Amino acid sequence: MADDKDVLRDVWFGRIPTCFTLNPDEVTEREAEAYYLLLPRVSYLPVVTDKVKKHFLKVMRPEDVEEMWFEYEGTPLKWHYPIGVLFDLHASNTVLPWNITVHFKNFPDQDLLHCPSNSIVEAHFMSSIKEADSLKHKSQVVNDMQKKDHKQLWMGLQNDKFDQFWAMNRKLMEYPTEDGGFRYIPFRIYQTLSDRPFIQKLFRPVSPDCNAHTLGDLLKEMYPDALTNDGEQKRYQVLIHGIEPLLETPLQWLSEHLSHPDNFLHICVVPVPTD
Amino acid sequence: MDPGGASRRSSRSAETWRGHIIQQLKHRDRIQSAMFRDLIRFYTGLLEKTSLTKGFLSGSGRPPAESCARSSLQQLKKTTGELAYKVWELQQQITVKECDLQELQTRLQKEGGRLAEASEAKRALRDEVEQVRQKNKTLKAAYDALLQRQREAESKLREEKEKEERVLEDMMHQKKQAAARMNHRNERRSRARQATVQKQLQTAARSKVIVDSSPSTPTSRSTSPKPEDQDKSGGRGATRLFRSASASSPRFFSSIREMFDRKRRGHSVRSLEEDLPFPVGICLSARVPVRPLQVLEAHEQGINAVRFSFGSDLLATGGTDRVIKLWDVRAGSLTHRATLDGSTEGITCVEFDHTGRRILAASHNKSALLWRLDDSVPKVTLTGHSRKVTAARFTCVPHQVVTGSTDRTVRLWDLNRAACVQQGEVASFCSDLVCSDSRIISGHFDCKIRVWDSRTVSCVQELPSQGRVTSLDLSSDRRQLLSCCRDDCLQLLDLRWTNDRMCFRADGFKCGGDSTKAVISPDGCYLAAGSADGAVYIWNVSTGGLEARLPDQHSSSITAVSWSLSGEHFVSVDRSRRAVLWSDI
Repeated sequence: MADDKDVLRDVWFGRIPTCFTLNPDEVTEREAEAYYLLLPRVSYLPVVTDKVKKHFLKVMRPEDVEEMWFEYEGTPLKWHYPIGVLFDLHASNTVLPWNITVHFKNFPDQDLLHCPSNSIVEAHFMSSIKEADSLKHKSQVVNDMQKKDHKQLWMGLQNDKFDQFWAMNRKLMEYPTEDGGFRYIPFRIYQTLSDRPFIQKLFRPVSPDCNAHTLGDLLKEMYPDALTNDGEQKRYQVLIHGIEPLLETPLQWLSEHLSHPDNFLHICVVPVPTD
Repeated sequence: MDPGGASRRSSRSAETWRGHIIQQLKHRDRIQSAMFRDLIRFYTGLLEKTSLTKGFLSGSGRPPAESCARSSLQQLKKTTGELAYKVWELQQQITVKECDLQELQTRLQKEGGRLAEASEAKRALRDEVEQVRQKNKTLKAAYDALLQRQREAESKLREEKEKEERVLEDMMHQKKQAAARMNHRNERRSRARQATVQKQLQTAARSKVIVDSSPSTPTSRSTSPKPEDQDKSGGRGATRLFRSASASSPRFFSSIREMFDRKRRGHSVRSLEEDLPFPVGICLSARVPVRPLQVLEAHEQGINAVRFSFGSDLLATGGTDRVIKLWDVRAGSLTHRATLDGSTEGITCVEFDHTGRRILAASHNKSALLWRLDDSVPKVTLTGHSRKVTAARFTCVPHQVVTGSTDRTVRLWDLNRAACVQQGEVASFCSDLVCSDSRIISGHFDCKIRVWDSRTVSCVQELPSQGRVTSLDLSSDRRQLLSCCRDDCLQLLDLRWTNDRMCFRADGFKCGGDSTKAVISPDGCYLAAGSADGAVYIWNVSTGGLEARLPDQHSSSITAVSWSLSGEHFVSVDRSRRAVLWSDI
């Protein structure tokens, strides 16, 4: 339906206004100005921050430059999460623009993975896609695709080409009609305060008695605390792509339309702001 | 991407959560990106400009070069991506186009097949057309030939038709001319007749009339003109009687009686005098002619026949000039009285009837003609012979004429109807005829004289002759028959005892032609004939010898002679138009 296409486009072209400021501890020749940028929600930090690096390298001495890493209010930002997920998780209800601090030194090896080049990001992206497809189609679809098709997926994401990406991605969103949906829904539920990075389990989109599962069913199954019982005040927000879908939204539809480019449904559960 | 899930389509909540999501997304974008988009765009633009100017000012090459290289690298990567996308798109188009191409090719093949079929059919049709054209050509050639022939035939027909028309025109023209001439002549004659009749009427009205007691037996023939009309055909006879009878009443009664008598007799209406049998005078003695009284050129051409009338006062001569001239014999001279024409060819024989009113002539134009003495136009023409008529005579039966001709027939004619009643075939030319009561005697070229029964016209007797018979003559008592032969001998035959014959010859007497006429004198004592040397020979019957010879009057051969009934006059005519009147005084 035309609306679904609009949903896909809105999801793809979602932007977050960001202000990059250099860590004051960094040694600079001149004073570094802040750099403002609209970051795509669906992409990854190393892919879209070349300009940032270029900007800040102008004021730095080459011998002081090591691998760039980002941090928000003390929390190093994991580059292998989509940018939208990072924002929703850490700064969803803060004042815009999102202030990120850029570091060139003291890379936190315990918290972050190294990312020397974009090919690392590509490898991570492709592995996510394969993982998602293995859940959805037992990896049949992704294995039928050729190398150039995989390349097309990555290039589409890297160059921000909606049509190019979705020309290939729609194959991954197809399923045999008699099943009524994917085999399992690829999802990850992120929590702000938890020792687990995310929740990922097997979950079918259709119940054994042919009822479609909803987001509510998923949360009830996976993270019941997120749900608000009757009579209680709402404690948590369930964010996907920065919005709160209704709990009766069918899960299959969500997986098809609100997935990230890596075919995963990233769900952030954040506490409701108290102010 | 199939949305799947029947629950989604049916429930109303489907719209709710979708609409909610869409609304949420829009709200998010508004807050998070839309507000900052332009700002950041301008910011980055400014930043680039400043960095550029900084670069120019600082003059350091490495950072710009690096950034250039990096940016160019980025660009290349972008373009590669774009190109890959384009490649994919183009490949899709290629597959689609290949499908179309395949389709078009199959269609093209089909069309090619159909085209081949059509061209095959066209070739076949062309061949047929050629054949038909050929046939047409041959047919047309044949037709043209036929047309040509037809045209020729038509033109020939037209020519023939024109010729026919012309011939017809000529013929009609000639006939018209002949008819006009005839009409003209007839008119003249009728006018002349009318004039004479008027004169006669006037004289008759003035003159006195001798009335007989019994009008049926007149003893002498009156030469005065009759009081009654003799004109025209007999149909008007009755009315004329009434008209003229106003002159004297006894005549009137006798005429009416005669009319009734005639009716009782059953004759057709004709003039009275013609019906009455005319008694013939008897000659007591004939006189041998001694000297010529008159010599005259009677005709324009040769004269063939001469005859005295029974009253001895009229002479008729006929010749090659086609006319009969009537002469009055008076006081020893011949005076021309009338000319009868109407024959288209020469006259061969002339005879008066008993009344002396009518003349019968036989002519070369295969017909016999009958005139009334007052008419110069023949009253009756008897045609039917196929060759020239040599002799024509009145029979003893009234209104009957017998003719003999060189067509080897002897015909009997009825004058009232002017038609041939009977016809007798003979083996030879008939040269002359004589009639006695109920008998016709004819002489023929085969040296035979035949006697016919006049009622049945069948040959009763055949009498031999010395040679070819040129003429016959009967004596007044009807007993002697004189025949003149071509071998210069005259033969006198007694009709009752046919073996009794006398033959007369003379030196110098030569028969001049095939129709030389010889006569017996009215008293039966003498025979006369004209010779080829122009002399008249007269024999004595009782002596059998030559009585007289009268030469020097004719320069050519004498064709005919005639003795007047009174015995006084003798006429001879010859080929050179001369007629001589002889007498013994």
